[in-house]
Amino acid sequence: MHAFLLRVSGQISGNEYDLTAIARDEAGESGVPHGSTLVAYADAVLGGDDVALSHARERLLQELGAEALVDAAAVVATFAMVDRIADATGIPLDGKVELMTQGIRSEVGADAFASASNTPRPGLLRRAIGRVLAIFLPMGFRLMRAIRR
Amino acid sequence: MAEPSYDFAPVRVREDLVAAHRRVWEHISRPGTWWTGEQRRAMAAETRHARDCRLCRERATSASSSKMRGRHDGLGGLPEPIVDIVHRLTNEPGRLSKDWFNEVLAKGVTEAAYVEVVGVVTQTVNVDTFCHGLGVAYHSLPAPALGEPSRHRPEGARPERAWVPMVSPANAKGPEAGLYPLGGVPNVGRALSLVPDETRSVLDLLAAQYIPAGRVSDFWFDPQRAISRAQMDLLAGRVSALNRCFY
Repeated sequence: MHAFLLRVSGQISGNEYDLTAIARDEAGESGVPHGSTLVAYADAVLGGDDVALSHARERLLQELGAEALVDAAAVVATFAMVDRIADATGIPLDGKVELMTQGIRSEVGADAFASASNTPRPGLLRRAIGRVLAIFLPMGFRLMRAIRR
Repeated sequence: MAEPSYDFAPVRVREDLVAAHRRVWEHISRPGTWWTGEQRRAMAAETRHARDCRLCRERATSASSSKMRGRHDGLGGLPEPIVDIVHRLTNEPGRLSKDWFNEVLAKGVTEAAYVEVVGVVTQTVNVDTFCHGLGVAYHSLPAPALGEPSRHRPEGARPERAWVPMVSPANAKGPEAGLYPLGGVPNVGRALSLVPDETRSVLDLLAAQYIPAGRVSDFWFDPQRAISRAQMDLLAGRVSALNRCFY
């Protein structure tokens, strides 16, 4: 879901982000400003290496500042909670999100996660609608950006 | 000094976030809907203890954790099925399955009691992860408040596609009116709604730490953070990928 939100954020701000950075083994460039610093920080918070976390925290602090460190820690903590709630309750993806994220899920490898089985596989019609949306949604978001300007 | 406090944190933590964490700590210490304050505190303590469990470590490196039997290194204050929920939810959330959930129910844990355990564990993980991320010591767990669980089951809870019944915005009436302050809410925002107090607490945290649940799809909403929306969603996506969470 957040890969989708990230892509839309990019389309609205006129940027193209590399979503595979979310799922790569090593922190890589996504196109998001300071993205590799943030990804390295998330990896370190969830990893078990205190020295790596200390370095990642210091790097984030130097590049983005103290308030950003607090907000980054808050987002990581939020999804440590939210992911567990989703997995423990077996909730499916929300209908519209399921439609709009079919391509992105395979791009970031999410379809291979065990919890993917909580969302019913889309039928032919939904797959077709998903493909059409994948073409027209970016145009829609670009149009919305232009209108808001 | 009120607890939890970030007075000794290496960076200043904004007041609304400190206040949200104080509300969570108070929430965990109070008698819940199906569990006492003492039991809820025991769940929070077990969540911390679970990280060093030998069985969980062995399962983490096993191809199929469900086939590996054994006893968790528990603290001893909770029934074994609850210890199993706490440990699996803490250590291997991406491997939870409907079959495992059905086994939990077969051991006599009700859906509502299960949902409350999930609420306590995940909110404890939330606050502890924040502390770990900042490099501050975990807060002392709150002293449990006395009293009996309310045993309130919302009338509007209905089976849907999730493993547990949920309250839809349309069915949030009576005591549940106002459960979703912004109206629409994604599934994850109502996943614990079989125990409305857990939902209220989680939505409170979401608003203070990320974005109010009803505004997640509003790309022009500005939560006034020091990192951009794209930076927040990159972090969210990365954490979810590490947790192997499809949602």
